[in-house]
Amino acid sequence: MAAPLPLKNVRVANFGWVWAGPVVGQTLGFLGAEVYKIESRSRIDINRTLPPFGEGVNDPDRSLQNHAGWAGNGSVTLNLKEPEGVELAKQIVAVSDVVIENFGPGAMEALKLGYDELRAVKEDIVMLSMPTAGLSGPLKNVRTYGMSLTSLTGIDSFTGYRDGPPVPVENAFSDPYNGIMGAFAVLVALTHRDRTGKGQHIDYSQQESIMQLAGPAFMDYVMNGRAATTMGNRHPTSAIAPHGVFRCQGDDRWISIVVANDEEWQGLCIAMGDPQWAQSSDYATSAGRVKHIDSLHEQLAAWVAGHDDHKLADLLQEHGVAGVPVSSIADLLADPHFKARGTYVEVTHPLGFKETIYGSYVKSNKFVAAVRPGPMIGQDNDHVFKDLLGLPEERYRDLIEREIIY
Amino acid sequence: MPEGALEGLKVVELGQMVSAPYCAKLFADFGADVVKVEPPDGDVARQWGPFPNDEPHPEKGGLFFFLNTNKRGVTLDVSEPEGRDELIELLRDADMFIENNRPQQMRDWGLDYDSLAIVNPNLVMVSITPFGQTGPYSGWLAYDLNAYHLSAAGHRYCGRPGEAPLEHGTFSADFYGANAGAAWGLAAVYGRAVVGGGQQLDVSCAEVIASVFTGCQNIGGYAQDGVYETRTGVGMPLGAPATILPCKDGHVWMLALQPGQWNALAKVMGNPDWMLLEQFQDMFVRAQNADAMYPLIEQWTMEHTKAEIMERCQEEGCPTTAIMTVPEAAEQPHLQERGYVVDIEHPVLGSMRTLGAPFGLPESPGGPTSPPPLLGQHNDELLSRRGRS
Repeated sequence: MAAPLPLKNVRVANFGWVWAGPVVGQTLGFLGAEVYKIESRSRIDINRTLPPFGEGVNDPDRSLQNHAGWAGNGSVTLNLKEPEGVELAKQIVAVSDVVIENFGPGAMEALKLGYDELRAVKEDIVMLSMPTAGLSGPLKNVRTYGMSLTSLTGIDSFTGYRDGPPVPVENAFSDPYNGIMGAFAVLVALTHRDRTGKGQHIDYSQQESIMQLAGPAFMDYVMNGRAATTMGNRHPTSAIAPHGVFRCQGDDRWISIVVANDEEWQGLCIAMGDPQWAQSSDYATSAGRVKHIDSLHEQLAAWVAGHDDHKLADLLQEHGVAGVPVSSIADLLADPHFKARGTYVEVTHPLGFKETIYGSYVKSNKFVAAVRPGPMIGQDNDHVFKDLLGLPEERYRDLIEREIIY
Repeated sequence: MPEGALEGLKVVELGQMVSAPYCAKLFADFGADVVKVEPPDGDVARQWGPFPNDEPHPEKGGLFFFLNTNKRGVTLDVSEPEGRDELIELLRDADMFIENNRPQQMRDWGLDYDSLAIVNPNLVMVSITPFGQTGPYSGWLAYDLNAYHLSAAGHRYCGRPGEAPLEHGTFSADFYGANAGAAWGLAAVYGRAVVGGGQQLDVSCAEVIASVFTGCQNIGGYAQDGVYETRTGVGMPLGAPATILPCKDGHVWMLALQPGQWNALAKVMGNPDWMLLEQFQDMFVRAQNADAMYPLIEQWTMEHTKAEIMERCQEEGCPTTAIMTVPEAAEQPHLQERGYVVDIEHPVLGSMRTLGAPFGLPESPGGPTSPPPLLGQHNDELLSRRGRS
């Protein structure tokens, strides 16, 4: 029988919007926390408006990618432009352990929901603020999109084909990364709170968190004054070769191949049938293979071409070589590995249609994560305002009518 | 100085390369007591550089430095009974065990979760591998590049059509897996009394990205409508401008989608007449006419530096940014002022600069304060005599 979820005694008021903030709530929610995303019909979160929609109907409760990214969060609606809405938000915070937000610096203060105001209603509150570049410093008001955040970290300068210009990553790779890391930050602060009784206001700079991925190149700059250039699919510290993606038989089919040591190189040679070119002393050592990587990749590409990606991966794996097919989006749903692990799950949305979202993206051998469909806007209003805050029915109806709970 | 948030938490790492070491480092950053267990010839990352002057040396690797600050280190040959026994002693009173070895290898060593739970039922074991503990690829050999590309992140979002899908030039999948392992692992420790003891968390680096990134954005639509897209090399093909453009001294991430942003860009560019043309009046028609528009913007960007462009655009409300090189990113005054880069004294390397904690905790500050362990540096301190190697 599955164990209780580890965060079942944690309650979260999530003012996060779009993607990164909601993924913080999702991660805590999957792990058992009671998470309420606080949003409003007076300003529909843009993430609810993104296609494709369930059954093709354009509606803020039917955005499929929104449901996947927000699943695990509940939803309550409050119009925060109204002082009564702010007051109710504070009442939710007063019975919560954690507050999450990813607006720009100062936005929560402008709403009268800054850390000092929230601490006045819940002294040991853990508040996570995750603006682009942190709460202080000359760049604190910088504006980026999720996909351009990496421009401020050095990462974009080395993403691209060798000897070519930087190639943009075409979606916000940083957002869900920061969402998960934001959940870690909350858990670190909760651990500290439980030991000391003190809450705190986490200054989470998305720039700094994602810049850790530039760590290897940063160290090369520190040690050698070098500015990294576009890497292609090569090893990030140029330590091993082959290390690349090679074209296979079929339309846009590819395989990734990595050889990390001499033993794996011998395996690759045998898998290829010991061709003459591979006997060259140029390729006998790891240093040699790195030095002669261009000719090595050219020869390897010629051998790979014409092979089926999956059959070739099987052959390489049999010989102890890290060869793995490159997936397309279509491959993900059909992949036997992801199927076996239940990576994607079909759920029935409260509106009645079936949709596919991702499930527990980490697996526990003790508990089953709380994966539910993405929240309907305001789905938890009854529970939060009546049960949790104890509003009398009449006042609750009145607040809805006056579009405070809205 | 206030103590770290995770003071008192005991973590043992049996990890090499990037994923498990970075995961354990996140705990070490915030005050946990982390013991790194290396094989007698060391973590492979010690050989991976970068090295000062490109001269390989097992104590001078930059990647190893970055990933292993604030840890103590021992060397053990866990394939030998004595070495395994020493590791078991370390795990007996540990809270967490973070590792990234192949699942079959761990079983062969008798270090699988079921064996360890007998010794320490409260242990939270975080296993971070390319494909996870179960499923048909679980036994496959793979590295960061392989895991990343199984997630479709490159095929969908990085590269030009007809050319190879691209990794981002770093260990993207390993970092993602480390991050997920840290969050779920700490949750399991936090809720240990609720759950009723320890457990194993199975992290597949490929699966994390295939879920929260490519899965999130694509899988619902593909499952319902059966259509999917692939990389374009452009940035945002449906709205414009949203791409990387060259400028006088490098590149900028050019973004001006909303009307206010477009007007701001026009102002910065001196309101050229062409920007008033009908085919450039909203982000969608601009995208349809992108081939005509991008060269016109580029003419202007080529006359200005990335710093000028970013400063003027940001001032006026257009979110365009400079593509910072690694040196530019490293030296930006913003990060210096926030204390994000730190210097640490290392017995072999001397003073060495590295990146600070990934987020700021004012009540319990974190970040690197001590250098990574020399190979076997803490053997005397942490091991009984018999297992030392």
